Order: sequence, then C-alpha cells, then structure tokens
Amino acid sequence: MGDLKRTVLYDNHVKAGATLVDFGGWEMPIQYPHGIVDEHLHTRIKAGIFDVSHMARFIITGKEATAFLQYVLTNNVFALDLLQAQYTMIPNKNGGAIDDAYLYRFYEDRYLLVVNAANADKDWQHLNNEIKAFDAQITDQSAELAMISLQGPEAKNILKKLTGSEFLTEPLKNALGILNYHGAPLLIARTGYTGEPLGFELFAKAEQSPEIWEKLLGLGAMAVGLGARDTLRLEAGLPLYGHELGLDNEGQEIPIFSCPLAKFAVSFAADKGNYLGRAPLREQYCGFKAIMERDFSDLSKLPRIVRSLAITGKGVARAGCKVFKDGREVGVITSATMVPYLKAEGYGLDSKITDEKAMRGIGLALLDGDVEINDPVEVEIRNKRVAAVIVPYHLKSDAPPYARPILYGVEVTRQFESAANYPGKALNLVKKSLDNTHHRQYETINLIPSEQAHSSAVRLLSVMDPSFRYAEHKKTKSFYDYDVFYYQGTAFIDEIEYLLMEEFKQYFNCAEVETRVISGQMANTAVFSALMDYKNRVNRKVEAKRLGYILNNHIIRGGHLSAQPMGALHDYIAVDPRTEKTAVVNFPVEPDNLFKIDVEETKKVITTYRPELIIFGKSMVLHKEPVQEIRQFIDDQKLNAVIMYDMAHVLGLVGDYFQDPFKEGAELVTGSTHKTFFGTQRGVIAGNYDKDDYKYGLWETIETRAFPGSVSNHHLGTMLGLLMAAYEMNYFKDDYQRTVIENAKYFAKALAEAGLDVAGDPQISYTETHQVVVRVGYGIGPEVARRLEESNIIINYQATPEEEGFTASGAIRIGVAEMTRFGFTKAAFKETAELMADVILRKKTVAEDVKKLRSQFTTMKYCFDDEAIAEQLEKLKATL
Amino acid sequence: MRIVEGLKYSKDHEWVKVEGNRATIGITDYAQHSLGDIVFVELPEVGDHIDKDETFGVVESVKAASDIYLPVAGTVEKINEALEAAPELINEDAFENWLICVEMDDSSEYEDLMDATEYEAFCQD
Repeated sequence: MGDLKRTVLYDNHVKAGATLVDFGGWEMPIQYPHGIVDEHLHTRIKAGIFDVSHMARFIITGKEATAFLQYVLTNNVFALDLLQAQYTMIPNKNGGAIDDAYLYRFYEDRYLLVVNAANADKDWQHLNNEIKAFDAQITDQSAELAMISLQGPEAKNILKKLTGSEFLTEPLKNALGILNYHGAPLLIARTGYTGEPLGFELFAKAEQSPEIWEKLLGLGAMAVGLGARDTLRLEAGLPLYGHELGLDNEGQEIPIFSCPLAKFAVSFAADKGNYLGRAPLREQYCGFKAIMERDFSDLSKLPRIVRSLAITGKGVARAGCKVFKDGREVGVITSATMVPYLKAEGYGLDSKITDEKAMRGIGLALLDGDVEINDPVEVEIRNKRVAAVIVPYHLKSDAPPYARPILYGVEVTRQFESAANYPGKALNLVKKSLDNTHHRQYETINLIPSEQAHSSAVRLLSVMDPSFRYAEHKKTKSFYDYDVFYYQGTAFIDEIEYLLMEEFKQYFNCAEVETRVISGQMANTAVFSALMDYKNRVNRKVEAKRLGYILNNHIIRGGHLSAQPMGALHDYIAVDPRTEKTAVVNFPVEPDNLFKIDVEETKKVITTYRPELIIFGKSMVLHKEPVQEIRQFIDDQKLNAVIMYDMAHVLGLVGDYFQDPFKEGAELVTGSTHKTFFGTQRGVIAGNYDKDDYKYGLWETIETRAFPGSVSNHHLGTMLGLLMAAYEMNYFKDDYQRTVIENAKYFAKALAEAGLDVAGDPQISYTETHQVVVRVGYGIGPEVARRLEESNIIINYQATPEEEGFTASGAIRIGVAEMTRFGFTKAAFKETAELMADVILRKKTVAEDVKKLRSQFTTMKYCFDDEAIAEQLEKLKATL
Repeated sequence: MRIVEGLKYSKDHEWVKVEGNRATIGITDYAQHSLGDIVFVELPEVGDHIDKDETFGVVESVKAASDIYLPVAGTVEKINEALEAAPELINEDAFENWLICVEMDDSSEYEDLMDATEYEAFCQD
C-alpha cells in the first residue's frame, strides 16, 4: 500500500492494532481488534470515535463566497445562521450528485465545506472551475485541520471532560461551537454519520489531534473503523456516495431526489437564485412529490427512490442484489448487510437496553416509485429469493441520549385488568376513581407546577346543572354590542359569565376579558388566529398572510409549547422565503444564566427582525419577564409590535409580588386558569384595549375567534366553578401570592441545603416564581421522577436549556402552589426537601414518611369555608 | 492466529479432520479473523454430493460473503445446525465449531492437503 495517503492519526491506528485497507486512496482502518459488531454497539451505548480526516476540508472566503456556494450547492446558504451547519449536495448540471457534503459556518467571514475523500480531487477541480466567475476564494485546509468524529450517548460527557468546558453548543442538531484546546481553537459540530442523537465532529489542529484521539480513548470512547462506520450509517438510513448517490450499479446517474435526504438538502428559494442543476432538480422534485402523494401515473420525472428494507427471510442481502415485488423486478439493493443491536426490555421510558446482542438484516434499495412502505418484496441472494419488507426506517433518534433500533413487526400492546361485564366495569371505575382521589388528595405531595387542587366549592359547582347546557352568544352591532344568546334557559349562565369577566378585569386591571376559551392553548390559538385575521382585514380576496416575525422563548429555554410553531402557532406562522424557516426568533438569554432573558441582546434582535408579535412567558420559569424594558424600547423605537404575555404558569401570581403585565406594558395576556390560579381547567384572554382604541377591532376579532372560532360549547360547568375560584383569588391573593413566592424561595434553599443541585441564581434564592428547578444528572431526570413517585412525591422531569429533549432530561421541575394551598408550613417544605434528597441522592424509598407528612395537610386554605357556605354546599351535593 | 496440529488445511483456509472415511470440515482461525464478525452461515443439505473444490456453502460476515469450498469430494452426512442460530460461534472457536461432515469419495484427496506447519507458512506468505 505504498502509494496510499495517510491521515495524521495513522500511527494511532497502527498502535491500536487496526486492520488497514485502501479506502479512496487512503490507508484507513476498516476495523480495530474489537471488531465491527462491538465497535457498532459501543457507539450506540457509550461512544465511538472515527478518524474522518481523510475527508477533504475546503475553506471558502471572499465577498461573493455566499453567492458562489448558492451556485454550486443545492441547499440554501441563507438558511445557515452563524454557528450552524447544513447537509448539502454538490450537483452537476443534470441534477445528479458530484458529491454530498456538509457546510459549516463557524465564522462570519468564511465557510467550511467537508466533502468525501474519494471525491475530493473531483470536487476540488469542479469548485475551482466554478469559482472563477465569483469574487471568492477556495483553499484546501485538509492537512492543517484534522477531523475526528465522536458519536454516542456518552459523547457529550466525554467532550466536556476533554475540553473542561461545561457549555459545548446549543443542544440542537447541526449546532456549532468554538472551544479552546491548549491554546488552539477546537471547532465542534453537532453533526455525524451514525444517527446518534448525541454526536460531534471535531476539527482540531493536525498537530494536536493524535493527542486528542488518545485522550478520547482514555475517556471511554472506542476507536471505530470504516466497517462499523458503514453499518452505523446504514442503520441510520444515511446515503453513501457510490451507493445511494452518484452512479447506480448500471452506471446510470442516480437523481439527487431519489435520495430521501434531498428533501432537506435541496432548495428552490427564489432568493437562492439559479444554480447548477436547478431546472432538472425541479423536475425531479415534481416526480418526488407525485410519489409522496401516491400518484404513480407517470414516474418518468423520478423513476426510483431509495427506501429502507428489512430482510425477514434467511440470508444476507448485499449491494447489487435485485429486488422483486409480486415477481416483477422493481429495483436493486444499494447497501445492505446484517447489523448488530442490543435487545431492549420493557416499554416506553421504562424500557431498558440489555447487553444481549442480536443481528438483523437491513438495507437500502433504489426502488420503483410505486413500491411503498409495508410492501412485501423479495431480494435475490445467490439465485434464491429471500423475503423482505419495505420499512419507514431502521433507527430512531427522538428519545435522546440513545438511538434505538426499530425492528420490523414489533408492536407495543397495553393491557389493563377489566371486569367481564359492564356493571362490573362501572363499579371498578368508581372504586378506582375513589382510590385515585384519595391517594392524590391525602397521600401524595403534589409538586407539579402546572397543577393545582380546587376547593370543594369550585369542584362541586363545576358539575352542577350548567355543565349539561349550551349558551352560545355573540355581541351584535345592531344592539349596540349587547350579547345575543341563541338558546333559552341561559339567563343564569349569562349572569355567571358577566360576573366572571368582571372578576378577571379586576384581577388583571384591564379593559377586556374573554373567558370562553377552555384551555390556555386554545387562548393562544384564538389570539394568533385573531392577529392573523386582523393583519389581513384590508384585503380578503387573497390568501391571508401569516404572522412573522415572532419573538418568543425557545422551547429548550423553557418556552411554552403553546407559543411554538409545533404548538398553537403552527397554522399562523409564516415561513421566511429567504431562509425557508419559520419566521420565529428567540429571546437571547444571559450567558451565565440561561433561564433569564438578556434584555440588551433582545433589543438587537428586535432591531434586526422587527417582530410583529412578542410573546413573553414560559413553562419553565424562574424569573420575571422584562416586559417593561421591552415595552419602553418598542415605544422609543416607534415599532409596532404586539406584546403578549402567556402567563399560563404564573396567572395566579399577577400582582405586586410578581408581575403586573398590563401596567408593565403588555397588550394581551393569555393563560390557563388552573396552574397557580385556583382552577378550574380553562383558559382566559385579557386585553387592554378601550372601545375608542384604534386597535379595538383586534379585540373584537379575538372575541369572534373565541366564539365561533374556537368553541361552540364553552363548557359551562367549569365556568361556574371558575367564578368561585376567581372570587377566592381576588379575596385571598395578597396572602396566597406572597406565601407561594416565599415558599418557593425557602424550598429552593432547603433543597440546596439538603445537598441537591438547585438551578438558578442563589442571590435571589433561585427563583422569583412558584417554580424550582433541580439538576439531578444528565439523562436521569425520568428515572428520578419515577423514583420520587414511588415515594409519593409527584414532580415532573424537565430538560434544562443545555439538554437535547425530554428523554435526556437531567432535571426535575417543582412547584409549590398546590401544597401552599394545603397549608404546607416552612417546616413541612424543609422536611420534603430532606425526603427528596433521600430519594434522589441516597436512593431511599420514603413513601411512608411522605404519607405521614401529607396527612397533616389535607385542609384547603385560601377558600371560603364558613358554616353558611358549608351548609349550602351540602345541599348542592345532595342534588347529585 | 491459532493453528491446530494433527489437522489438514486447504489453500482456501478450511481445516479437515479425518476419522476413518469421514471428514469433518470447518474454516480456520485465520479465515474467521479475516472475515470479522460472522453473521450468517449457509450449509448444504444432508445427502448432497459435492465435488472436490466445489462450493458447499457461504460464510458471511458484516463486511462480505465468502464461499466455502470442499477440499475433499464426498456426500454430506451431517451439518452443524447450531450455526444457523449462532453463526458467531465460529468467531469464538473456529476449530471447535465445524461446518459439515462428509463421507469421502476418495480418502487419498485428504493426503494432498497441507499439514499444520505447511499451512502456517502458507498464511505467512
């Protein structure tokens, strides 16, 4: 192998006993002594490192660097923010792939493009030819900059130890970071070729990389060769140039859109302009769209696409094997082998990955467009037809920190014991409900911050006669906006609803309230719908424009689901045509306190994006939101943004001890009425528009988007209960709110004193709300939450701003509102903190101690419990 | 690499052990090591007659498929069925985990194969 090139890590591979092979002109490790199976599995359950320095690294700079890249790459470079990476293709003019590549933007003024080793010379020539037309430069930095991939659930811990850096990158796929390694920049990217939800590619100075490699091994990563690199990428369904891209087995060019990742890697944004292969790619896209929409009448624009396939019969499929469906040849295997996996036991979050190894035959195949998922097919292996089936994927990464194998045919079933006949089922239901209520009301310490227990009066009123009725009503202009009801028998609920609105107006100190929405999420949906409708009020003859830009809290920093594009914003948020991403920007947070909005940085974001809607409010909330500062800035800048505060979690804290949203400058407040507020489970919208305000039309639109836009029946029973809750709140709020916040601060300190790692700023006793966040260790939030429940302490696990998702949660979220309502004293919170430390740190089970503690606090405070009320409630109960 | 004394070896890295007219055949430790993790073994049917140097099955690793050739002509008497469920046994011990037994047509073919010393030299070339 004399003429082969060697990476800077060659000596490391030899030392490790690697088997070296010729790979694209490089002498590379195919495997190490552990072998492919163990290298694959170690990556999936711990971490693997891969020498990928054989790939080429090009730097593109110059005034027209972006324009050049838009021309020679398929993806939209405008979508690439600073410190982000994107997968892309290097197309030829026919819509085929010269190569696939990753584009990284570590710095404002230069791009890093990583291409395949085997294609590097071809890519270099092509890019150098094309760059002549641009005021841009390309240089090859492959030799100066080594590249190591570190993949697997332990990758983050290992990288933290290697660099001594607590913060690596944002916990999102394709995020980048620049760290320091012994005085030199170490560039890191959350990218990889394994399907692992936690994986990094490191760009290190060549001289430093042999040492980094050895240190990574010392920290528990296993060296992985090209053999397992291939099985890992195959399991993840990722394409390999020369198999799923480039030329097929008959030497024909594979259209880029045959590769499923093309959907993410090819852009037709108008701002991107024309580029190499755009027109044929557009044709391919039309073919792809037809296939996805199951229109198989004309497959000429895109005859075949790559699908995943599981071998169900006996045999090992390989690239080149023909695939048959109903006896007809429908395509060819592009990559296949048997890959290892570890068996799992149990279901859902409780499933455990065992150390029992197994193998399965999987592949990718280029198949006729009309071959669909779940179709049974046959693969010809050495003249024998072996059974297989088309599957959607082989692996899923949506439950970090693990990537999990998806085996064909596995079905999750749930079974609950049930009586044989209906009277038996009915009796069981009642008994079980009694047990559940008893358990949650007398035996458990309830610390979920989005929950609240209701007083007897609130509970009873919620099931009284109005709960079976309808009372649709609408303000009518002909009657000077007097409400017109559609049904008879509604006088009582008319009065209740009027009184409820008056109570909320008093509570918020605002002009208008809408109480018909039955959840906080619905409140937000109604407001977004109204804002969009109002925006389009001048011309209704064209398709309505969606909202954008919107400024909100990112979900990983505690942003509420109902203010996200995946939540209530979904149908109302625009896509920015330049970036092709949803027109949402997020509040920047303070560098040393990720729970707190950075006001000065926020001002810069507002100046850049000029958002039309600013949404404050979070579901993981430790701080006040800077409503007043942002209102001041908006007014000074004469910007016309609506400031909305989604107060779902803190609705019961409105006032002197927390925040006064309208006084501080919010225009709209939404919320759910059952978290810190006293129930029932409903939503509310409040606005501060006077009737003579030019924006009063927006308020009227909100009302019509509540009814008839969101509800027909607005659940009158819980509305009756909510009026009682509003009386309780308006009467008791001074004492309640002060006590809740005092208790939260006290509890946070007690938890810290008990040895737990409380998140937030100790200077303010960690919290300014009812919530406390405790870090329990990366990825073990769900397990800790389960153990606490076994000890009758009910909390929820929570991903902190550094974590990848709820299954990787390393924290728990705690709220003191419900137990404060039951009169928990400081001593009781102190004892709870110690019991929690016993469970979390010492793995004790303390259910009996918890029951004993809870049994002392079963009487609800902050509600009307005098004799006269008690007597009337008894009468009400008697009507049931 | 392990080589067992007293067995005969083929150039295709099979080992042969003879008792009377019956030959037991497997792949060598060198072969299993070069193949890597073995994931599938395909063997002939009992009663099949197979010529010398004819393919009688396939051993597949994650990386590749390798045909296996019969070093001595014969009729298949037994196959190692355990390998169907656990092909990785070959990686664990290639000499213990045989593939097939044949009733040889001509036991002199056995004599033409390499002995342990010759095979070791062959592998080092």
